[in-house]
Amino acid sequence: MAANVGIVLVSHSASLAEGTAELAGQVSGETVTIATAGGTDDGRIGTSLAKISRAVQLADAGAGVLILPDLGSSVLTVRALLADPDDLPGQIVMADAPFVEGAVAAAVTAAGGGDLKAVLDAAQEARHARKL
Amino acid sequence: MPESSEATITLAGDLHARPAGALSVAAAKFDAAVEVIVGTSQANAKSVLAVMQLGASSGQQVTIRATGPDAGDAVAAIIGILAGATKAGD
Repeated sequence: MAANVGIVLVSHSASLAEGTAELAGQVSGETVTIATAGGTDDGRIGTSLAKISRAVQLADAGAGVLILPDLGSSVLTVRALLADPDDLPGQIVMADAPFVEGAVAAAVTAAGGGDLKAVLDAAQEARHARKL
Repeated sequence: MPESSEATITLAGDLHARPAGALSVAAAKFDAAVEVIVGTSQANAKSVLAVMQLGASSGQQVTIRATGPDAGDAVAAIIGILAGATKAGD
């Protein structure tokens, strides 16, 4: 069976990233690698280029990696990483999507065998999903 | 004309996040287009957020309708998931 797309959740908060990964993992049946990069290197609220880079390496199984940032400087830090892709595995894309809904939609689509474009589309379509 | 298939089940539990996820993961593995129909609402089975938004609950009738080359297998697989997954109560 072909590898699934991996997912990286980037949050200012380690516990937010881990909790979202836990939820998305449960809903998608625990078959997709969801790596987290939450907080700064010394455990404060913020983002870390080194943590994101490690998470991307962890999530990559050969089918590409989707990165989902939470807010503001998460986006900027991911952009900084993607600007210098030499040390990174093949295909990596960043999703413009709500954090929880995007993570769940992306994980389910990846678990169903969707390719990187399908996983990105699923995450980004989450912007239009209504809760009520 | 593409093959189409349809079946209806009465839910034994609410269609919460985990069974919705299992349903969408299964639906994604078929080429057929698959719809989940509850009352007057319908959702693309391959979109977990759309399935969750249906808010289908215990006792409601859910119809699975598929169109495509593997429509029959898709309906059977998803009805099987709904029969099993919604019993757990989560």
